[in-house]
Amino acid sequence: MDPQLTSQIVPVEEVRAIEECLAVLAENTGGNHILLLDKSGQVIAAHGDSTRQDVTALGALIAGTFASSREVAKLLREKDFRQLFTQGVRENIFIALIEDQWILCIIFNKGTHIGLVKVLTKKATDELALVLDRVREQQKARDDVLGSSFRTSMEDTIDLLFRD
Amino acid sequence: MALINVAAREIHCKIVYYGPGMSGKTSNLQYIHSQVPKDTKGELLSIATETERTLFFDFLPLDLGKVRGFQTRFHLYTVPGQVLYERTRVAVLNGADGVVFVADSQRHKMRENIASLQELAENIKKQNKNFREFPMVLQYNKRDVPGALPVEKMDEFLNPAALKLNWQRYEAEATHGRGVFDTLKAISKLVISRL
Repeated sequence: MDPQLTSQIVPVEEVRAIEECLAVLAENTGGNHILLLDKSGQVIAAHGDSTRQDVTALGALIAGTFASSREVAKLLREKDFRQLFTQGVRENIFIALIEDQWILCIIFNKGTHIGLVKVLTKKATDELALVLDRVREQQKARDDVLGSSFRTSMEDTIDLLFRD
Repeated sequence: MALINVAAREIHCKIVYYGPGMSGKTSNLQYIHSQVPKDTKGELLSIATETERTLFFDFLPLDLGKVRGFQTRFHLYTVPGQVLYERTRVAVLNGADGVVFVADSQRHKMRENIASLQELAENIKKQNKNFREFPMVLQYNKRDVPGALPVEKMDEFLNPAALKLNWQRYEAEATHGRGVFDTLKAISKLVISRL
């Protein structure tokens, strides 16, 4: 099927597997905030203090940075940049790509060594790649998830909210 | 592609406003941001140059609330329209579920409209997607400028009947809001119909 006609449906059990993976990564690295994003910038899962920042905007910006770096890679005739590291005064951000589809982002402070983050992130991305494979394989019909009347209700909501 | 998180019961869709420089993509988002209820919208995030031209993108998250038990979110993006930012447009377009093509109705802008639409088609194809099937709505903006090209003439160039693309198209004056919500409704419904 044309990929644009398929939605990515992340089932309950896979969301749990993702959350567990992020929790372990946070505990072992001491990371303050961990995000799993889709390459389109949508947040799949977040672990950490959600009150401290606008997770939605953060997701959009990080995915934009990564997509931008992919274009830089093409110009340099590099396959792609699979990891990005941004160093701040208080906090650092380490970002890793998972099979060209998902992006793992870990925000950590000066107390954590980047080498440790790199090693443990590699382990986590391997685990999450397996989850991604399972999500891609499952062929659950969208109507099973959304219900047949979903689209009608959605259109009513759009008419109600999107107006002058 | 749209993301459906079954555990959190959330649906996310990405809509990108594409088009040549100064055609009014950012104006669309600014108008939407000024009109939708407070609890529906997030902050309008703009990465712009010192002269207020879009450098990377504008981003407006809209939360439509719960629909049949699913929290539904639309994320609206604009691309930078200027020619030199071609690679940046590719980056922003990544993973889009639908596109609004904002064309400038001024006669002397038609060449830029066509070039931008051709570039969009190429960029969609590069994502292994079928451009003819891709959810898209046209907006003919700046209908209020003196000497704006007639709509039929714009159709001839951008939505020719012979190609049978049959894109929905809306006339607009984005800075005053005319046509902005008609366009947004059309693309949102189109994206939802393809979920």
